[in-house]
Amino acid sequence: MAALVGRGVRDMLKRADFMTVPRRQRHKKKWAATEPKFPATRLALQNFDMTYSVQFGDLWPSIRVSLLSEQKYGALVNNFAAWDRVSAELEQLSARDFVNEAIFHGEPEPKNGQTAAPPPASWACSPNLRCFTFARGDVSRFPPARLGSLGVMDYYLMDAASLLPVLALGLQPGDTVLDLCAAPGGKTLALLQTGCCRNLAANDLSTSRAGRLQKVLHSYVPQDVRDRNRVRVTSWDGRKWGELEGDIYDRVFSLVAEIQAVWILTESWLYHLSAREVWVLVDVPCTTDRHSLHEEENNIFKRSRKKERQMLPMLQMQLLAAGLLATKPGGHVVYSTCSLSHLQNEYVVQGTIELLANQYDIKVHVEDLTHFRKLFMDTFSFFPSCQVGELVIPNLMANFGPMYFCKMCRMT
Amino acid sequence: MAALGRQVLDGHRLIPLTWSLIARQTTRLGGQKRTTAFLLRKLTMVSSGGGLGESPSVEPQKYVQEPEHRTGLTQCLLEKQRTAVEREKVVSSLLDMGFSDVHVNELLSIQPGTHPQQLLDIISELILLGLNPEPVCVALKKSPQLLKLPVMHMKKRSSYLRKLGLGEGKLKRVLYSCPEIFTMRQRDIESIVGVLKEKCLFTVKQVTEILHRCPCVLREDPGELEYKFQYAYFRMGIKHVDVVKTDFLQYSMTKTKERHVFLERLGRYQTPDKKGQTLVPNPLLRDILRVSEAEFLAKTACSSAEEFGVFKELLAREEEESEGRMADAGSPEEAGP
Repeated sequence: MAALVGRGVRDMLKRADFMTVPRRQRHKKKWAATEPKFPATRLALQNFDMTYSVQFGDLWPSIRVSLLSEQKYGALVNNFAAWDRVSAELEQLSARDFVNEAIFHGEPEPKNGQTAAPPPASWACSPNLRCFTFARGDVSRFPPARLGSLGVMDYYLMDAASLLPVLALGLQPGDTVLDLCAAPGGKTLALLQTGCCRNLAANDLSTSRAGRLQKVLHSYVPQDVRDRNRVRVTSWDGRKWGELEGDIYDRVFSLVAEIQAVWILTESWLYHLSAREVWVLVDVPCTTDRHSLHEEENNIFKRSRKKERQMLPMLQMQLLAAGLLATKPGGHVVYSTCSLSHLQNEYVVQGTIELLANQYDIKVHVEDLTHFRKLFMDTFSFFPSCQVGELVIPNLMANFGPMYFCKMCRMT
Repeated sequence: MAALGRQVLDGHRLIPLTWSLIARQTTRLGGQKRTTAFLLRKLTMVSSGGGLGESPSVEPQKYVQEPEHRTGLTQCLLEKQRTAVEREKVVSSLLDMGFSDVHVNELLSIQPGTHPQQLLDIISELILLGLNPEPVCVALKKSPQLLKLPVMHMKKRSSYLRKLGLGEGKLKRVLYSCPEIFTMRQRDIESIVGVLKEKCLFTVKQVTEILHRCPCVLREDPGELEYKFQYAYFRMGIKHVDVVKTDFLQYSMTKTKERHVFLERLGRYQTPDKKGQTLVPNPLLRDILRVSEAEFLAKTACSSAEEFGVFKELLAREEEESEGRMADAGSPEEAGP
C-alpha cells in the first residue's frame, strides 16, 4: 500500500517536473546510446574490405592478414656512425643487406642478356644505402638502436619498403633534393645517407611532425654534416589554422595552406639555387593503411575526419603538381604513398600528368620501373598489375609495405 | 544385461567345486604356465593372508587342506592348487560375464601380481556400468593402474558416474580416452562439472553429452576450460548446443586460436552479431577444427603452409606479449591492498 502511494507521488512529481521543462528543451534521454560506437580502426578495416577486395580480388585475404599482423622492419645503417662495425653486428644477427644483395645479383643479368647495353642512368639506384632485413619468413626483430661511439645512433629502424622511393630516385653526387612532407624522417634520413645531397630541403606542414623530423636528424646526423649539406627543415605551417583543429572547414583550409606553403617553399628555394636540376621526393599524406588499422589516435578513418579523407586525392594531386613544377625540365620526381588504394596512387599520378599537360603545357614522362622491381623481387612482394609505378604489397613472408612509388621525369 | 551377469555370477558361487575340477585345472595350468610358477606362488602367499576367508565357497577346501600342512613340498603343491582354485573361480566368472578365453588370459596377464578377487571385483564393477567385455579388456590393458584401485573407491566412483549420466553404453568412449576418470580425485571431477554447469551454464544433459563426447575436458584446468568456453561463445559466436555438437572443447586452445584468428584476419570468419548475422558466410566449425592442417589451409583458409607457419610464430609472440602486458597491468593492483 505504502509503495503504491509512494509510486503515485513519484509519478505526480515526475509529471510536474515534466511540465516545468519548456518544450524546446525536452529531449529523449537515449539519444546517443543507440548509435553504434565503432572504433576508427574497425571503420578502416570495413573500408578496406569494401574497396580492396574489389581492387585486389584473390590477393586481398593475404594482404589483409599481413596488415593485421606484426610488420617487419629494416635497419638502415647510419653512415655517419661506424657503419662497418654496425654492419658486421647486424650480419651476426643473420640479417642481410638487401640493397647490396639486389645490386650485386642484378648486375650480371644485363650482361648476359641480349640487351648488352648497361641499364640507363635513370635506373641507377641511389648509392651508399645499407639496409638490413631478415630473410623471408624469418620473424626475428632487431634490438633497438643504440648510441654509437661517434655520438649518433647506429641504425634507424623503418619499414624497409620506405627505402624503395629513395633508391628509385637515383641520386647522383651533388644533387639538390626537395623532400615534401618529410616527417617522420625515415626517407629524409635515407636521402642524407646517400651522401649525394648538396642541398636538402625538407618540409612538413605540421610543426609537431617537423619537430619529430628535427629530432631524428639530430640523433642520426652530426651537426657539421647538417650544416654542410645545407639541410633545411621547414614547416610552412598553418599554425593559425592548426589551433582550430576539429572543424572540418578549418581542416580543409589547412590543406589549402599546405599547398600554398609548398608553393612558397619551392619558389623561395629555387630562388636560391643555380639552374641545376632539382630532385623531388613527394611522399604525400595518405590513409596510411597499416597505421590506420592499429592506431586509434588521430585516425584518418574517424567519422569526424571523413571530409578530410575525401579531400586526400585532391591534396595529393596538388602536392605532386607542386613537386613537378619545382623541377626544371629533365628533373625527376618520385611520388610515394603508403596506401594500397589506386585512388591515391596511380589515379593521382595519371590525373596530375593530365592536369599539367592541359593547364601548364608541361609534358611529364612516367619511367618504367620493371627493372627496379626485378632487382628487389626477392625481398618484397610487388603487385603485378600496376598501370604506372610499382606497389609493394604486404605478405606474411615479407611483411613490408604497403608502399607505392612512381618515378616521373619532367620533359618540358 | 548387467543384472543377468550378476545373477549368473551369484549362481555360480553356489556350485560346489569338486576336486576333479581342480585337478584338471592344475594340470592345464602346469602345462601352460610353468614359467610363471614362481610368480604364482608369490601370489598365493599374498592371497592366503587376505581375501581367502571372505568367500564362503573356498572354505571347504581350506578345511580339507588343513591336515596336510606339514611338509614343504606338499605345502607348495597345495598353494599351487589353491591359486588354481581361485583362478578357476575367477576364470569361470569371467567366462560367465561373456569374456572369451583369449580375453580371460589377457586379463589375467595384465598385472600378474593382482589378487584374482580384486581383478574380478574391478571388472564386474565395470561390467555393471554397462561396458561390454571387449572394451573392458582394451581399457584395462591400456591402463593397468585401474586394477590397483580399492574396490570401495571403485564402487563409489561408479555410482557417481551413473549419477552424471555416464552409465549404459556411454562409458566406453570415456574410458578409452580418459581412464583417469576412475583414478582422479572426486573433487577434481566435481570442479570440472561445476564449471560446466554453473560458469558455462550448460544443462545437465549437455554436461553428460560433453563428458561422453570429449572426456579429455576432465584433464583440463577448470579456469582454462571456462576460458575456452568463453572464447567459443563470445569470440567465435558459437552457441551452447553447437559447442556440444561440434566437440569444441576437445581441441587445444592454441590450435583453436591459431586457426580462428588466422581466418578472422584473412577476412573469412566474423563473429556473428546479436542476431547471429555476419557479412561473410562463416565456414563450418568442423572444416576449421576437425580437419588436418593441410586440408584446413587448402579448403578453408585458401592459404599456404609457409604463411600459416609464419603467422603461428607471430601469433604466439603476440599472445606472449599481451600476457606480459596484462601481468604488468595486474601487478600494481595486487600490490595495492
